[in-house]
Amino acid sequence: MNNETQLRERCREALKLTKRHGADEVEIFAQTSHAIAADIEKHDLQTSSSQQETMIGIRALVNQQVGFACTNVLDELEATCVDAVKLAKASPQDDNNVLPMPTSVENVPDLYDPKAESFSVSDAVEQTIRMIETADSIDARLVLGGGTFSANLLTRCIVNSNGIDLAERSSLFVYYALATAKDGEKVSNMAFHFDASHSVDGIDVVPIATRACNDALGSLGAEKGESFVGPVILSPSAVQDVLVGLFAFQLNAKNAVRGSSRWGKMLGEVIAHSSLTVTDDGRMAGGVATSSFDREGIPHRKLTLIESGVATSLMHSAYTAKAMSANPTAHASGSARSLPGIGPTNLSIKPGEVSKNDLIADIKRGLLVNRFSGSSNPISGDFSGVAKAATLIKDGKLDRPVTGTLIAGNAFEVLKSLSGVSSETERVFTATLPYLRLEGISVTAD
Amino acid sequence: MQELLARIVAQSGGWIELRFQERKTKQIAVRNGTLEESSSKRIQGIGVRALVDGVFGFASTTNLTEKGILRAVAEAQGAAQTSASAKKQRIKGLANASMGVGTFPVSTSDPLDNHTLEEKLALVMTIDERIRNGSSLIVSSATSYAEIQDEKLIVTSDGANAHVFISIPEFRVMAVAQQDGEQCFGTEANSVNGGWSDLMGLTPPEELADYAVRIAVEQLNAPHPPGGLATVVLDPGLVGVLSHEAIGHTVEADIVLGGAITADKMNQQVASELVTMLDSGISEHLPHATGTLPVDDEGVATCKTTLIENGVLRSYLHNRETAAHFGVEPTGNARAFEYSDAPLIRMRNTYIEPGDTSVEDLIAGVDDGYYMCGLGFGGQADSNAEFMFGVREAREIKNGKVGKLVRGATISGNAFDVLHSVDAVGNDFKWDLGAGTCGKSQAAKVDAGGPHLRCKGTIGGRQ
Repeated sequence: MNNETQLRERCREALKLTKRHGADEVEIFAQTSHAIAADIEKHDLQTSSSQQETMIGIRALVNQQVGFACTNVLDELEATCVDAVKLAKASPQDDNNVLPMPTSVENVPDLYDPKAESFSVSDAVEQTIRMIETADSIDARLVLGGGTFSANLLTRCIVNSNGIDLAERSSLFVYYALATAKDGEKVSNMAFHFDASHSVDGIDVVPIATRACNDALGSLGAEKGESFVGPVILSPSAVQDVLVGLFAFQLNAKNAVRGSSRWGKMLGEVIAHSSLTVTDDGRMAGGVATSSFDREGIPHRKLTLIESGVATSLMHSAYTAKAMSANPTAHASGSARSLPGIGPTNLSIKPGEVSKNDLIADIKRGLLVNRFSGSSNPISGDFSGVAKAATLIKDGKLDRPVTGTLIAGNAFEVLKSLSGVSSETERVFTATLPYLRLEGISVTAD
Repeated sequence: MQELLARIVAQSGGWIELRFQERKTKQIAVRNGTLEESSSKRIQGIGVRALVDGVFGFASTTNLTEKGILRAVAEAQGAAQTSASAKKQRIKGLANASMGVGTFPVSTSDPLDNHTLEEKLALVMTIDERIRNGSSLIVSSATSYAEIQDEKLIVTSDGANAHVFISIPEFRVMAVAQQDGEQCFGTEANSVNGGWSDLMGLTPPEELADYAVRIAVEQLNAPHPPGGLATVVLDPGLVGVLSHEAIGHTVEADIVLGGAITADKMNQQVASELVTMLDSGISEHLPHATGTLPVDDEGVATCKTTLIENGVLRSYLHNRETAAHFGVEPTGNARAFEYSDAPLIRMRNTYIEPGDTSVEDLIAGVDDGYYMCGLGFGGQADSNAEFMFGVREAREIKNGKVGKLVRGATISGNAFDVLHSVDAVGNDFKWDLGAGTCGKSQAAKVDAGGPHLRCKGTIGGRQ
């Protein structure tokens, strides 16, 4: 089923059925996806594929008790409606179980490229071959151990018993490359880069393949590093691994309701250095997570989460907005396969005014971390892990690649002593992030 | 459906694999006494893989009519043909294997459907309350139960015709403790491939809850460990994580061919001669390991594969394509999570064989080191076997005695260096990956474990 009108009709039918079986309020969220993909493995084209699925998720409320059921067996949709009501009736009551009311939604332009409909398996194959050829043109020691190019057509539809009735089509081309360099016994770290485009004309796999290859080559021949406590510069990828999970957890209103978010009780207070501003914009032009409305049918808008170091807003769904007497912020997330969660869309850290090289320039001894492989605890803020593709900084310059180096610190503390934000930013999955310079980090060479 | 699939396979021409899957799942999640989720999912579909001119093509469909399946077959064959002109290394053939034929039921006397939604919900609510009542310092609790029930039909043009049933229930708990504005958490989880009483009999949910509370509270006042190389005793949980995450992925033949560190190490000493590591579709030593799988998703009957024998690398993990490439027999490691996933090389139950040292003696032999239990928050490993795992519970060992807890500990290093450093292997055994889900572009339910091990590893903390 790839017709928007048909999908919307199916949702309306499911809404009526669920009400007939005893629900007071109902939300139907459905999505039809059609994906074409070509995968790289062992520096060669591996498999190409095509997939199509329609999934319908039903949230039934009975006396503010909630149940959720989903299926792709559309011929037996009524059984799923019955299941959702049955699950609701067995659940405890919660006054915060509410569905949102309809509000005006302005469609985001350029989400859907009609040319995507004729994008074929052979077009996807051509893009993966381009990634492999890019690696070949850079250095014979490079292997693209993995990679994917996928073309995705998505139709989302939401209908609820309060009158929300929305549908939207989007196209998204997603691609990544995983590069390793091998020179005799020396094996580099695995380097990963990712990009995406909503339009056929916006596809360009060469830059990400090139960056993955250069990062892999850069970590080849890395030797033991040095132990010290001092400045560390995190690349956008490392910022994603160390800090974005913390932002997503601490600014999630559900965690505030649960009592597990420290920042949930600190709105209006300073939680980071004044150079840190974090926004989230579900309508960002070209954003990977861009769409007109969230998982509950609330229109997306730009929201400042942290402004000049001050926590300014949490991310809400209808549930948390009711629980905390706040307004929904259109951060209900997820697919038709599950109940709405809460999460960022296109999260951005505002770039600074100095270049990455300027951040390095006055460091006597420090570390540039391109990738972080470890744990970052969003509750305690403690992070600890291996600095991957890391380079030692000496006397204001990049000195040499190092391996087996651990970094550790506490995110709440390092955000307060943040000493630099670069003007350069990169897209890392759905986030847009600069380089960040942190102080007082434990660096341990084993 | 089985007859329909067999007929389509017979009339399709060329090599073809059809895999029907019906999956039913349930999820109950409670936090702080509030029900956050009570949900069910039912999906059905067929995945089709065709091999044309030495290239695989894959398509999936939810249209289960003969016409719908034939369309998916044509799409898979078309995708393979399109790719054939671009692929450098054509598949020369698929290795012969013992193909699965027959019906493979779930091994349990207590199927999950014998227990009502109300019973499962009541248990989750009760355990969540137990966590919150466990200490006055507990500020948040989370408890969840989930189950996956799969029915699969795997039919190939070269002999597989298997009807496979899988049932995986899991139980998870988390406790968050707070003092002076500082929060710490404790977690524990269990899963089995089996029925309700098989899960409940493993470790009762009450014990999981009490453990999570104890770890959360005790961590509040625990110091961070100093960083550096240390002698450690790893529990079966961490031995399993090391075996699966840091070693297991480097011996998956597709990763090997992509340039893993094991690529030229076959029949070489890669670990202490005390170490023998295996991956098995059968639940060895103890029943109901989560990754138990009678037939893989290529239709190959699974077996026990010795990866490392007395420290010497003996085998990789294969699908039929890589087995043909290396000239060996398939090991039954091709797995697909849902009908819409093409099979990939994945682990099943990965473990180290028990040795002959008692756990008491392992610990008694450490003057200054750590006793480390279970995977904590986060962890990652690369194809060069470098790894870093957060540790759920790490305690100092001083003069052969386990002492105080340290907080936020990690263990890292090169997994083969760690295995080379093993100087004693415990005589115990446990499957202990918690509710193990492995991610490698698609999910797979796996298990891992072993005995306690004594070795050296780099401890991370905060100086």
